[in-house]
Amino acid sequence: MNTNRLIHFIVSIVSLLLFTNNVTKGQNVSNYLTGHINGSYENYTQYYMKDSKINAETPDNKFASNGFYKLDYNYGDFSAGIQYESYLPSIYGYFPTSTINGSKIVNKYFNYSSSKFSLQIGDCYEQFGSGLIFRAFENRQIGINNAIEGMKLNVMPTDYIKLKVIYGKTRELFDYSKTYTRGADAEIDLIPLFTSSKSTSTVNLTIGGSFVSKYEEYTGPQNDFPNTVNALSGRMNYSSNHFSLSGEYVNKNSDPILLNNYSLKKGKALQFNSAFTKNNFGVSVDCRALSNMIFIADRDNENISIGLLNYLPALTKQHDNLTSNIYVYSAQPKGEIGFQSDCYYTFKKNSSIGGKYGTTISGNYSYYQSLNDSSDLLSFGKKKYYSDANIELRKKWSKKLETTFMVQNIFYNGSLKVASHPNVISNILAAGMIYKFAPKKSVRLKLEHLSAKNDKGNWASAVTEFSFSSPFAFFASDLYNYGTSKIHYYNIGSSITNKSTRFSLAYGRQREGLFCAGGVCRSIPASYGFTATLTTSFSN
Amino acid sequence: MKSILVLMITCMLINFQVRAQESYPSVQLKAVSGKNINFKDVVSESNDTILVMSFWATWCVPCISELDNINDVFEEKQAIKPFKYYGVAIDDSRTAQRVKPFVRGKGWKFDVLMDVNSELKRALNITDVPHVIIFKNGKIIYRHTGYIIGEEDNLFDIIKKS
Repeated sequence: MNTNRLIHFIVSIVSLLLFTNNVTKGQNVSNYLTGHINGSYENYTQYYMKDSKINAETPDNKFASNGFYKLDYNYGDFSAGIQYESYLPSIYGYFPTSTINGSKIVNKYFNYSSSKFSLQIGDCYEQFGSGLIFRAFENRQIGINNAIEGMKLNVMPTDYIKLKVIYGKTRELFDYSKTYTRGADAEIDLIPLFTSSKSTSTVNLTIGGSFVSKYEEYTGPQNDFPNTVNALSGRMNYSSNHFSLSGEYVNKNSDPILLNNYSLKKGKALQFNSAFTKNNFGVSVDCRALSNMIFIADRDNENISIGLLNYLPALTKQHDNLTSNIYVYSAQPKGEIGFQSDCYYTFKKNSSIGGKYGTTISGNYSYYQSLNDSSDLLSFGKKKYYSDANIELRKKWSKKLETTFMVQNIFYNGSLKVASHPNVISNILAAGMIYKFAPKKSVRLKLEHLSAKNDKGNWASAVTEFSFSSPFAFFASDLYNYGTSKIHYYNIGSSITNKSTRFSLAYGRQREGLFCAGGVCRSIPASYGFTATLTTSFSN
Repeated sequence: MKSILVLMITCMLINFQVRAQESYPSVQLKAVSGKNINFKDVVSESNDTILVMSFWATWCVPCISELDNINDVFEEKQAIKPFKYYGVAIDDSRTAQRVKPFVRGKGWKFDVLMDVNSELKRALNITDVPHVIIFKNGKIIYRHTGYIIGEEDNLFDIIKKS
């Protein structure tokens, strides 16, 4: 029985059972109400102009436009939806392999969900554990959509057991992988097993495990080449009101793919997270080691952002400063070991440091380096990849004025792509303020400086934003490399927002660089011109 | 695939005639307080009490400004007219571990729900954060994307008048 016939059969049986069940209940048709329709539309359009100073080329089509239309319908326990995408053509550099010029309904699904049971047929998103072994998700900013076309089943036979099953092919741009992926995940909450059902304890102790398997036929000459690659994971999580501790281990069988030069080595991952909170104080520590953990659908795929099966984000702080995003880290799935720690504290209001409106201090430190031996997850190598130490102070002085101040030190290993020098050490200072000069009228200003002795040297930046009345905002920014290139990356723009619709228009220069999400980085080419963005959400 | 779609639509039409109530998708979320919460139940149980869901992330600066400013007047506004308020963090597993220390470190007075694989964000068709949705009697009566300082006054006006 092929896949389509199997899915067809399952849908038929489920529909028949539900129909029979409902009819026998004899519900009163006059009580029926219409369902919910909700949807969204996003469009990013760029007009490219030539700018030889930043090496910005104009592609064949000076206009590029990415559009995403999504429509969902919910009725009772049922929902269905479609997603239509148009690239006319795709934004320059959005897809790693080529420019797409076309439109298609890429996602369609039909779902039945009750409190204990859910079945979805069509394109499905799902995550097992923290995603180290499996995650199907969408990130439009970076052009990732690795939905599984097939089916997913979620069952909760009791309040403390959760089961998930997924089966299908992975989306690869406008097409699907040759590889079939199947997976199952189980999670058990142990506390209800040992306490009364009426317990209101906030303590959770769960254990879980996942199995993911991909199948792609191999027709080459090698005898020991696997058609099927299996991965297994185990995890636990303990959390109480003030403390939490969780861990996950993944073991992936020999998985020869183009991206690991068809290595027959096994993959492994180990991750621990712990957090403690009390009285306006919070601290967390995340530790992770990875070895040969690229888990991708088709073995001959040459690009990690297409058809990825798992999720390996860089466990570092995501900054909003312009200068902090020059040297960004992306996880090294072939081998890395490291950790990060965060802490937050809010001084009490009306205390000497807290003042009348409170003061918050936050700190973050992350450190990553190579593995010495890929078969040993705890073997520390000698090559340092990245470290980031930063402290931010946020103080609200009055109802009208708030200030922020941040210091940061970054070490970046240039062999990780974006720098020309092997070891770049940069120090950043950032200061910002928001002043509300009338109801719904405010001005924001942020100044930053990055100093570095090598690579491109020093940078400075300024960002300002004015909100004159509720729907309108204007912004201007400049990121200036005065170390070596003497280039200003300036941008000006405006936005208008009405309820859940927002339109913005910007003009300026886009710096060539790396945009990262989920262990996947997109190299953004330098560009110059106009960018228009429209987003809207609607519902009845 | 076409045959599957036709079958799905047929399925839906059959059940359209026999299902009773309108409702929202059933999405399970974990709260920072430790509770398991079903979005569908939260909406249906709120009845005529205003329910506000504010989508945010630890990496979203305007989101944090908005929630800080709401937190500053949370008790004062609750005293005028009680309402239910949830922050819904869309942090995925890159930053999800820092949500609880962040929220507790901030001392926010409202509960925060975790939407780690964006299931609820996707189901409600939220494109950007911050994004606020107000429910009353099971219906969405207001939604807004983006935040500029003072926008929370508008939110409280809607709560007061609804």
